[in-house]
Amino acid sequence: MEKTKAPSKIGLFIFDPGGGLARAVDLGTVVQKLIKMKNVSRCEVIADIWSGFLVSVKEDLKAGNLNRLLWVGRFSPYQEKIIKAELSAEGLNPYLHEWCDVEEQGVGKEGPDRAVQTQKVMMLVQMAVGRARLIEALEPVSLPAVDAVLIIGAGVAGLHAASSLVKLGKRVYLVEKESGVGGKVASLHRLYPRICDPRCGLEFEIEKLRGSNKLELHTLSRVKGLDGGPRNFEVKIEKAPRYVSEERCNGCGKCAEVCPVTIPDDSTSHLPQNPHQSGKKAIHSPTPMAFPSAFVVERRYCPPQCRECVKACPTNSVDLEQTPSDMTLRAGAIIATTGWDPYPLSKVEEYGYGLYPNVISNLEAERLLENPPELKEVGFIQCAGSRDEKHLNYCSSVCCSVSLKQALSLKERLPNSRFSIFYQDIRTPGFDEELYQRVKSLDKVIFIRGLPSTVKPDGENGRLKIRAEDTLSGKEVTLSLDLLVLAGGMAPSGGTGEIAELFNLPRNNFGFFESHLQCHPEESQRAGIYVGGACRGPMNVGQSIESTHRAMVEALQFIDGTFLVEPTHPLVDKTKCDKCKRCMEDCPFSAYYFDSEGFPTPDLARCRQCGNCMGTCPLTAISLRHFTIKQTAAQIQAIKVSSLPKEEPVILAFLCKNDAYHAAREAADSDAVIPANVFFIKVPCAGSVNNALLADALSFGIDGILIAGCKDGQCHSVRGNQLVKTRSGDLADKLKKMMIEPERVRFEHLEIRDSGRYVELVNSYMRDLKAMGPNPFKV
Amino acid sequence: MPPKVDREKCDGCKAEKESLCEQVCPGDLMHLGEDQKAFCRMPRDCWDCMSCIKACPKGALETRIPYQLGYHVARLIPMMGTNTITWTCIDLNGKVERYQYRNRGSDD
Repeated sequence: MEKTKAPSKIGLFIFDPGGGLARAVDLGTVVQKLIKMKNVSRCEVIADIWSGFLVSVKEDLKAGNLNRLLWVGRFSPYQEKIIKAELSAEGLNPYLHEWCDVEEQGVGKEGPDRAVQTQKVMMLVQMAVGRARLIEALEPVSLPAVDAVLIIGAGVAGLHAASSLVKLGKRVYLVEKESGVGGKVASLHRLYPRICDPRCGLEFEIEKLRGSNKLELHTLSRVKGLDGGPRNFEVKIEKAPRYVSEERCNGCGKCAEVCPVTIPDDSTSHLPQNPHQSGKKAIHSPTPMAFPSAFVVERRYCPPQCRECVKACPTNSVDLEQTPSDMTLRAGAIIATTGWDPYPLSKVEEYGYGLYPNVISNLEAERLLENPPELKEVGFIQCAGSRDEKHLNYCSSVCCSVSLKQALSLKERLPNSRFSIFYQDIRTPGFDEELYQRVKSLDKVIFIRGLPSTVKPDGENGRLKIRAEDTLSGKEVTLSLDLLVLAGGMAPSGGTGEIAELFNLPRNNFGFFESHLQCHPEESQRAGIYVGGACRGPMNVGQSIESTHRAMVEALQFIDGTFLVEPTHPLVDKTKCDKCKRCMEDCPFSAYYFDSEGFPTPDLARCRQCGNCMGTCPLTAISLRHFTIKQTAAQIQAIKVSSLPKEEPVILAFLCKNDAYHAAREAADSDAVIPANVFFIKVPCAGSVNNALLADALSFGIDGILIAGCKDGQCHSVRGNQLVKTRSGDLADKLKKMMIEPERVRFEHLEIRDSGRYVELVNSYMRDLKAMGPNPFKV
Repeated sequence: MPPKVDREKCDGCKAEKESLCEQVCPGDLMHLGEDQKAFCRMPRDCWDCMSCIKACPKGALETRIPYQLGYHVARLIPMMGTNTITWTCIDLNGKVERYQYRNRGSDD
């Protein structure tokens, strides 16, 4: 392959602006030696990149004297950008530059032996030349993208994302399993901190969506399958029959007037009479909120042969023979906003939920807020089933504020009632503290630290007797209550489980969608699929809207016409590949698929270019472009161990570019002395290091190999660190059989700020290796 | 003599239809057992070409040296680099010799 191409002509420039490098290194000798190297056409030391220098490089490029450039020394990102831009105008591909920062390898400090440093610079530049010979011109790959986003779940998070996307002029598919939108928030009565009606805010968003022709809303629909990849997802949905035509129905409600069946409301069974919930007919306006406005029939309640609604409908829109329909929606990105479910409180047996009609959940209590019946004594139990290893092992973070809000609103209506709030800790983060202070200042509201041990009926009068120990005073408290509200927690919704299974999205220990919580909270571990709102973890309404917007912004990149993928993606050499599909197994992002000939091929849209496939391939058939196995092998081969004294160990380190590399760089910039014979290669992920490269290095006589990656659970490519740890462990076992010390291959965790530890590590490794003696392959 | 399989290391090439040793064996002798571990189904037919040993990504295979060549401690272990192969040859006295070869690759 190489032979057909023009031979590499490398222009090698050593950048030494302040003369600092010349003080530490004998640059004259370096240049003299380098100019004699194969493929090096021009070699000089430069003090700055301006003053005619770039012009001369341009002339050389034009004349064909140079076709690759190797820049030695430290360039600022700005200078790199300028150089690339200036020379790409002259037709030099930006991937034909090679950068070799010798300072980050620990060279350039005054003090250590000049000859040693000169040798190290020579070695480093030779490594870079080895690589530079093999670099190729690359162009970004452009992929087409479907210009729509699919949002699963039309709760508050989904609605806000949809309305923002529509505002930006993007097409949106909104899929909801209920007959109307609004989700859990629509069933709330008041939102803290402003104690306003959530329907107001929801209506505001719905209004924007109603008029939009960019939105396609699919209610009564469930996701059934996923095909394709990012920028081109194909999502299958199943639409349950509505029995009313969405186009024709004008929502006049005449059908409901004649409907003979009143259906029981789902959650009013435990509540005292509430006028708001009565009288829902089998044909009714969509719930929770009437968007779309077309009515819906709950057929399971219909008496056989009843056709009253059909007869009454003035627009002829009722069709009781409708059947479910399947559809396929095409979208560039997906946002899952599948929300949360209330924790089933009947599992918390000690509080009698489901046994006594006046024990209700906090969600049900919302319905009481507007028009409560006469209540003298109301109790709240916080953390009902939360922060409890038998139930939810986490804090749902909103229930304290919710109960405070409910107490506050109820108190407005029932000024003479007494409220008792049983709690473990009141957790009101941020400004919710104000709410807490407000409730505390109310008359006849008491906070009791301690959870009740028993809830029993108080005789025959229908009241509840509750017993608890106040752990602050150590006294027992016994109360007789009219109503007990259990502050149940937020559990992952059923929809979250369904979607996780269908889309193969990982979930965390608590059942919510897994994401890289600190850095990329909106990312699921599948490219193009984002998660927002309470399906990611307990959060309040405001946070949920924020989080879904973050997901939305990320989703935008997948729907913009065409998309450019960096050309540094993996490439499978089909002449070498024998379809063992280890790459498929080990790809942390499931990016591989079989092409028409049965070869594994990365889906460039899904690929995050971490190189784990390259690391795992037993036949070295996969390479990241611009970071190929051959290039790295050439780099390793250029370390001429024989030219160094035999008793001085040589370490080759592979450093993850996200963490360990930065640690090493910082160490080099500090005063710390890094042993001269440590050479490192920056890799996209520790998991991209192939065992064949390690075998190469050992067989060339390198004494010790250090692979540094992230700690478990911190790896940016999910589990690259674990994969390389196992693989290098296998190699170490083999070394043992070969009667070579297995410690010559080491895997270490290094965090970004571990620069001190890096220095310690290489120094102690140096000592260990010295004690071991030279690598037997050293000649 | 058939290769020795380290049953702890062998992962059956992760439930592959054909494991790498199976694919590479010129005599079609290597197979995956019911436990998804590789084994040589006709030990007497193996002619020690060591292809499977070089191919195993887990380093789970090791050749058994025929007794005519060396007893017990004797071992012959290849290690594959990108374009190199190194041999560690341990004789029956435990004396170690190592050789390194550069493959005549396609690219030079």
